Amino acid sequence: MTNHKRRLAVSGLLVAALAAVTAACGNAETPAADSASDAPAEPVTINVHTFGGGENFGYDAAVEKWNAENPNIQIKYSNLTDRFEDVFLPQLLQRLQAGSGAGDIVGIDEGAMGLMAARPQFFLDLGEYGLQDRKADFPAAKWEAGINADGKLFALGTDIGGMTMCYRKDLFEKAGLPTDREEVAALWPTWDAYLEAGKKFSAADTGAKWMDGPNTIYNVILSQEAPKNGNVSYFSKDNQLVLESNPAVKTAFDWVQKFSQEGLTAKLQAFSPPWNKAIKGGDFATMGCPSWMLGVISGAAGDENKGNWDVAAVPGGSGNWGGSWLAVPKQTKHPKEAAEVLNYLTGKEGHVAAFKEAGAFPSSLPAQQDPEVADLKNEYFNDVPTGKIFSDSVKDLQPVFLGEKHAQVKTAVEKVLEGMDQGAVGYDEAWTKFVEAGVKAAG
Amino acid sequence: MTLQLATPPRHASPKRARPGRRMSRFDLRGMPYLLVSPYFLLFAVFGIFPLLYTFWLSLYDAELAGDREFAGLSNYAKLIVDADFWNAVFNTVGIFVPATVPQIILALLLANALNKRLRGRLFWRLGVLLPMVTSVVAVAVVFSQLYSRDYGLFNWILGLVGIEPIAWQNEKWSSWIAIATMVDWRWTGYNAIILLAAMQTIPKDLYEAAAIDGASPRRQFWQITLPMLRPTIVFVVFISTIGGLTLFTEPVMFEGEQIMTGGTTGQYQTVAMFIVEQAFRGSFQIGYASAAAWLLFVLILFGTMINYWFTRRIGGAR
Amino acid sequence: MITRQPVNRLWDAGALTKVVLTVALLLSAYPVYYMFIMATRTNDDALDTPPPMLPGGNLGENVERLLSTEDAYFLTGLVNSAIVATTVTVSVVLISTLAGFAFAKLRFRGSKILLGTILVTMMVPLQQMGIVPLYELMVTLGWTGKLQAVILPFLVNGFGVFMMTQYASQAVPDELVEAARVDGASTLGIYRRVILPALRPGMAVLALLVFMQTWNEFMWPLIVLLPENPVVQTSIAALNQAHGTDYVMLFTGTAASVLPLFVVFVLFGRQIVGGLMEGAVKA
Repeated sequence: MTNHKRRLAVSGLLVAALAAVTAACGNAETPAADSASDAPAEPVTINVHTFGGGENFGYDAAVEKWNAENPNIQIKYSNLTDRFEDVFLPQLLQRLQAGSGAGDIVGIDEGAMGLMAARPQFFLDLGEYGLQDRKADFPAAKWEAGINADGKLFALGTDIGGMTMCYRKDLFEKAGLPTDREEVAALWPTWDAYLEAGKKFSAADTGAKWMDGPNTIYNVILSQEAPKNGNVSYFSKDNQLVLESNPAVKTAFDWVQKFSQEGLTAKLQAFSPPWNKAIKGGDFATMGCPSWMLGVISGAAGDENKGNWDVAAVPGGSGNWGGSWLAVPKQTKHPKEAAEVLNYLTGKEGHVAAFKEAGAFPSSLPAQQDPEVADLKNEYFNDVPTGKIFSDSVKDLQPVFLGEKHAQVKTAVEKVLEGMDQGAVGYDEAWTKFVEAGVKAAG
Repeated sequence: MTLQLATPPRHASPKRARPGRRMSRFDLRGMPYLLVSPYFLLFAVFGIFPLLYTFWLSLYDAELAGDREFAGLSNYAKLIVDADFWNAVFNTVGIFVPATVPQIILALLLANALNKRLRGRLFWRLGVLLPMVTSVVAVAVVFSQLYSRDYGLFNWILGLVGIEPIAWQNEKWSSWIAIATMVDWRWTGYNAIILLAAMQTIPKDLYEAAAIDGASPRRQFWQITLPMLRPTIVFVVFISTIGGLTLFTEPVMFEGEQIMTGGTTGQYQTVAMFIVEQAFRGSFQIGYASAAAWLLFVLILFGTMINYWFTRRIGGAR
Repeated sequence: MITRQPVNRLWDAGALTKVVLTVALLLSAYPVYYMFIMATRTNDDALDTPPPMLPGGNLGENVERLLSTEDAYFLTGLVNSAIVATTVTVSVVLISTLAGFAFAKLRFRGSKILLGTILVTMMVPLQQMGIVPLYELMVTLGWTGKLQAVILPFLVNGFGVFMMTQYASQAVPDELVEAARVDGASTLGIYRRVILPALRPGMAVLALLVFMQTWNEFMWPLIVLLPENPVVQTSIAALNQAHGTDYVMLFTGTAASVLPLFVVFVLFGRQIVGGLMEGAVKA
């Protein structure tokens, strides 16, 4: 019938018109690429894709400096997502497999280095661009992790975690606890003392909880216990799953369970929007802080909380949680320039700049020894001498072996911890479920 | 039914030169195949090929963008004893029942109500169709908010009668109910309209005869309406079964993030989520996921057979 | 002769009926209403219990925030959804009418078997079962992250063929086809001049259903597309994941994703209802 025909035609036109208009708007919305200088030649843009919360990799200043000094090679730095295991990693794998869409340089968390090392076909051999010579800059384990299954260098280290405990100065004051960082450190030489301090804090009824949730404290303790147990975590050095037998894992689990049972946590999952909100809102008073967590906090809490957060030594001694690498996917159209930029970002200058911006402690030796790093004070956190604290923290650090499926197992077992903390999993069955999940994820 | 016809052209149809014999033979014999070929070509590439490849892949130990090794039927053997897989099956069926049974019953009642003499019938009919016209992810987000532990409407209502706030995502039973309500909300109106249409084809004299015999409206419903609706009910149940056993969007959005575990210990992970988790999230095991996909198919066959047996008995004994 | 006929109370819309319908309507409408109200409010209001029932004045700022959330690519998602849904709809209707005509009105060997195959495969959930090979196929073709990857698999719509076959067999009398043949029309000519006009109402309904179904696809786009080129459903999912606590912005997005379907609904509502009811009878 003509009526129908007309209706269909009109609606077809409407849709087309709508599409055209929004497409035009959409194109206008697209942010213009970093405009290069007025150099006549087309500058090469190197896309750097990273992950993480808050200030994450902390390359803003370093990128600005490079872009100003290198008109021919412009860096575009994008932090794609807060979450590594369930967002960044699957997407990266997809882009690698598709042969397009990955950045020219990508960040990789320690947990997935095994996975990526087993897939040499996706990455550029950095040795071909002279980066082999950087070997002396890095501690052996950090260097080794960047060598893939073909024996080629594919990634260089960025930061290394180290360990401290961050705390809310203002909440401590409200609860009648000491606020000076030396005194705070004296408050909790052991985890038992930390537990007691937590109970005291809860009794003071400030409206906030003692800690954020299970994930952060679990990783802190695990990273401390691993060196005491052969420097292994979920997998032994020959890639056998030792989740159930490794005392380091059980100890970390037991502590998390205890804290949860005492009601000391705010039942939050780390690196989620509610967790970000809670950091800003002061909903909890303490959190385990490897060096890069400082950047996460300052980014999430914002300027209005400057001076509210402070840093003290962590109970239980040193350990290492986290640390990343940068690699160049083979699909890049500018391998030479990408390798150059990678060299810069993982060089002394890049590392120092990242430390200043995000608190991410450098993994390279020259940067660690640089007086700028050693003497650095972090303004956001009440001028705490982060340089000194983390230098001490990473001294004598032994590398922990992580295994190819580390990221998968980590995600799976931490899910169970969250469930236990939030009440979905009963305390008495939690360990069984924890082990089950880990075994399953290891495949 | 009224025939919708275009009026034939007023002028005499132009006498075309008779097409040559070969052309007309092809036109008669071959053309039909040409007409159905677009569908079957696409189907071959995007339907049959993936199905066959899934089976082939299920025989391998394969990782996404990684190596593959022939593994025979070991994936299936592992699946059969995989507690997480059966958990997903359990969840899927567990969500399916409250998502389908109330829906169909409510749809019947609604259709019955819409069948009466009403003013503004179109308004009511459009009204119950409203849920179907919403975007499914959007609705899942809204419902997840309504089920929020601290700020949700449902917990507030429960609070009014003195019940403690429920953490809906935490338990199986609560998450199943929450997800099932999303599905029910969406499809009840649509199924009601389908059933209504079928109801309207039931000859009115049957009802009049029954009324003369003194049958109450309720009896008329059970003795006349239901049995005559049986084919349509079978159809509706069939479609709902397939949709229910492959449920994906609602539980994923209920979780909020795209980690696909269906809750902290898989309280509401469906089989479709299990497949995606295995292949594209947690372990990147595409061979294993393919085996799970075939078992899902078996599950669907099973489910449709059971449903068919079940619905055949509606209004059976007369 | 007038016999005493009791009034059949079956057709009376009594109080119970009215209550049932009103409750159904309220339940149907409330979540949608909630969504639109939230889009006009602030995040503080969103956390009130009970939730607010009246619109606020913050729609403008919420929309602005939504459009400036780069990592969600919301506008791109809307446009992409429109493109994908329209392309799939037009194609499916075309393919379905061609095949439906052939099955319903033409005699050819194997037609019953082929039609039977379609019916059987309607039972197979192609998306869930074939998701891994489809993904690998897209990798091989180089289409991951692109709209082609999302359009093509959805062209396989057995239901469309089935529906058009049923419709054609009932809406087009055989005599008309015979008459056109006698007049010397080729098969394609018959398709254009006799079948298509007759199928138009059915095509409209099929088009609407396919459009809505495609607009709502989530699983496959989630796997094969990437964040920077989403469809509206995956864009909302990404928003929910990364900005889940900015509730009102999230709801503004959901409201916007529902709006196009609404427009379609308002324009074609009568047809949808009519067509569904006709279609159901023919099924």
